[in-house]
Amino acid sequence: MTSSEVTPSPTVTLPRSEAEIAARMKALEALMIDKGIMTTEAVDRLAEIYENEVGPQLGASVVAKAWTDPEFKARLLANATQACAELDIGGLQGEDMVAVENTDTVHNVVTCTLCSCYPWPVLGLPPNWYKEPAYRSRIVREPRAMLREDFGYDVPDSVEIRVWDSSAELRYMVLPQRPAGTESMSEAELAELVTRDAMIGVAPVRA
Amino acid sequence: MRVQTTEVGDARRRVEQLVSQLPRDGEQQLSFSQPWELRAFAVAVAAHQNGLYDWSEFQLALIGAIRQWEDSAQDDPEVNPWRYYERWLEALESVLSGTGVMGDDELDHRAHTILTTPRNADHHHARRDPVAVDPAH
Repeated sequence: MTSSEVTPSPTVTLPRSEAEIAARMKALEALMIDKGIMTTEAVDRLAEIYENEVGPQLGASVVAKAWTDPEFKARLLANATQACAELDIGGLQGEDMVAVENTDTVHNVVTCTLCSCYPWPVLGLPPNWYKEPAYRSRIVREPRAMLREDFGYDVPDSVEIRVWDSSAELRYMVLPQRPAGTESMSEAELAELVTRDAMIGVAPVRA
Repeated sequence: MRVQTTEVGDARRRVEQLVSQLPRDGEQQLSFSQPWELRAFAVAVAAHQNGLYDWSEFQLALIGAIRQWEDSAQDDPEVNPWRYYERWLEALESVLSGTGVMGDDELDHRAHTILTTPRNADHHHARRDPVAVDPAH
């Protein structure tokens, strides 16, 4: 054995990058689940109690800024990754982000058809339903019916619905419409109105 | 699709009874800045609730991990910065390997596999057009 093959003693913890720690945690959870010691659902249930602590506040602040600052909005729609970086919001792995804008004629919804890719740097953790096959397949097949029946969101027939497929390389967030009657509100007050569901596209923002 | 507020509230109170005795990093509220931190938190509580260890064992392991960082790394925070949940993960690894359910080797191996798997290995590439459109009627 050459010296380069000597592995460090297990008692020595080498400094790890954030990505390495995240991978280690993911590995630990996967091992526990493979061994039948716990289920993903049990961990999800516990995580759900605190999901708002890693919540969508950052995304809400991006939306409120876009509503109040037309130049920022233009930059966000042109390059969301860079616009979020202006606000010191970024991803661990450098995936690109795209913001799609809701208008009077177009409504946008985000999903991930193959797994559960999600813009967590701005939206926090995905809700459990986002990860479920029921959402991922039906929102593509019949988005209008699903929004109405499962989310109670009746998108008018005069509005086109576009469904966007997030991947590991490119993640979408919805820039919802600013509700009427909020003209006098400050950016911080506006941010309080913006929900995670509105930025996925399964709910409107209500004043 | 929604969990009742009371159910979540009750679960939260039970969990907070557990964590109220733990060493923290100066913040009163539990706070998570990265998704992996919340997963680490939830897995530790789930393993305890499934009877793998007493919470006091985890608490001792966490105190030990924090002390070890203080003794070794705090002089060089650029190289090994303070991260509360990294200490938490060390404590979790330590109590789990103490119970014999998980070895260091298999964890190292699995983490290596995750790190070296390309991000789009089992996924499609970026799609820049809508995957479905339901036109206006």
